[in-house]
Amino acid sequence: MLKLDGICAGYSVVPVLKDVSLTVEAGQFVAIVGPNGAGKTTLFKTISGIVQPSAGAILFEGVDLAHIPAAKRPHLGIAHVPEGRQVFPSLSVMENLEMGAFTDAGRRAWKQNLERIFALMPVLAERRDQFAGTLSGGEQQMVAIGRGLASAPKLLMLDEPSMGLAPAIADFIFEKLIEIRAETKLTILLVEQRVAEALESADRGYVLEAGRVVLEGNNATLRADDRIRQAYLGM
Amino acid sequence: MTSQVIENILQALVAGLLAGAIYGLMCVGLGLIFGVMRVINFAQGDFMMLGMYAAYYLFLSAGIQTTFGNVLGPYVAILLSGPLLFLFGFWIHKLLISRVTGQRTAQLDGEGHFAQLILTLGVALVLQNGGLIVFGSVLASIRTPLSSSAWEVGPLWNDLVSIFINKARGIAAIISIAAMIGLAALITRTRMGKALRAAADNPVAATYMGIDIDKSHRVAFGLGAAVTAVAGGLLATNYPFHPYIGIDYVIVMYAGVVLGGMGSITGAFWGGMTIGLVQQLSTLVLPTQLQNAAIFVVFLLIIFLRPQGFFGRMVERT
Ligand SMILES: Nc1ncnc2c1ncn2[C@@H]1O[C@H](COP(=O)(O)OP(=O)(O)OP(=O)(O)O)[C@@H](O)[C@H]1O
Ligand SMILES: [Mg+2]
Repeated sequence: MLKLDGICAGYSVVPVLKDVSLTVEAGQFVAIVGPNGAGKTTLFKTISGIVQPSAGAILFEGVDLAHIPAAKRPHLGIAHVPEGRQVFPSLSVMENLEMGAFTDAGRRAWKQNLERIFALMPVLAERRDQFAGTLSGGEQQMVAIGRGLASAPKLLMLDEPSMGLAPAIADFIFEKLIEIRAETKLTILLVEQRVAEALESADRGYVLEAGRVVLEGNNATLRADDRIRQAYLGM
Repeated sequence: MTSQVIENILQALVAGLLAGAIYGLMCVGLGLIFGVMRVINFAQGDFMMLGMYAAYYLFLSAGIQTTFGNVLGPYVAILLSGPLLFLFGFWIHKLLISRVTGQRTAQLDGEGHFAQLILTLGVALVLQNGGLIVFGSVLASIRTPLSSSAWEVGPLWNDLVSIFINKARGIAAIISIAAMIGLAALITRTRMGKALRAAADNPVAATYMGIDIDKSHRVAFGLGAAVTAVAGGLLATNYPFHPYIGIDYVIVMYAGVVLGGMGSITGAFWGGMTIGLVQQLSTLVLPTQLQNAAIFVVFLLIIFLRPQGFFGRMVERT
């Protein structure tokens, strides 16, 4: 479904990603882990088209994204739940979700998606008329995830959905992801600091360090790898 | 207090509300552009001037006067100047403003604000001087027979007090308020309006939703130009104008937008309303020449007491 081939990307003076290749098959749950500053967020921004790659290619369902502007990519079925939530603070919860459904696919499936989102995260239904900027961090994260789901995506990309949340809330968010996944078989690409949880539920994982993929493999291989066990799982 | 004093105060209050409604609409146009794009548009006063001339020529030479007559005609022309200025704003954005705003400004110094200032100032100068060449320096006005007749309210309080509402000003105020309500509905209820607000809140996240930021900006810029232009046309039914009139009003508009709270559309309307009221009420105690001084004294006072403006929220913007 998604294929990155030799991607190099960065900001005006700083190169960040160096020759990154990865593949996400339809229906897979793929996790990307790595230390702070490894370039995980930059990788997501490159897939979304906010950062332009200086080399390499990104294919989504076989379509080369090189000449597809950032604002068109969600319409192809790529939903990006960004790091730090980035809800629209002066829009209500409901309006945030409506903006998630800005794509045609999202608009067509709006009713049943909204029901699903509210069933999954009932607090959003309770808070539907509240300004998103006044929600707690956990609630904002739910809005961000709900917004992603509302677009009826083919690929859901989540960048550290547990960041800055109390462990209990982070667990809750994680459970929700697993529920979504069990329910819909949605293809998910997840960046996560909680390496143990991420690798446990993912089909496949990549370890990104200093802009390079240093390790990749399926769930079992990664969890058995000594480097992972020492560096990330504390074993 | 004598009834004469009460009458003067009420009359000034009414004049203030009527002028304030038009100023409010004017400010909303600027507030929309600033709110969505965070661009300081110095040419907004000149968009207003173009709106005045557009209505003027539409009325006189596009057959509107002969079709709709002298009473209805001016208003038809004024409302038609809106779409015209929308196209103009849309085009100016596409041609010029988009080069220093939106996605590409991230890399520029000060997020491109310097370039934006210079560019909109340049557009303002070109429009003013271009206006002088094309329209000439003779005062123009959109005459309506309504501007020389009035509704009388009263007599009130034992026949001592009567207030007169100039018909042209009254209708201008009503149209302003209607336009404001229509615009507010557009911004708060429609998909396009919500997308504009999302783009204003967080352009990058809006892009993740599939909202084209440049297009949103173009629509906001066009709408802002159209709204201010209609306000200008309404003003022109009461006051004569010239190609440099924008300079006088762009300051009023900025004061109104800042008063209301940068980025709030309703706030901009109330900001403009406040300016109209202060301007008219100040005539009770101050010579007319000091009207603008009064506006800025009140402006400074309010900003001193409430720096975020009436409706400004101290919300962080990412
Ligand atoms: N807008 C930017 N301009 C310049 N450099 C940036 C920018 N954003 C990120 N960087 C740099 O790029 C590198 C990778 O950052 P990135 O945010 O992709 O890391 P990350 O893996 O997501 O880290 P974290 O786990 O902390 O979120 C860092 O060195 C960072 O300083
Ligand atoms: Mg990150």
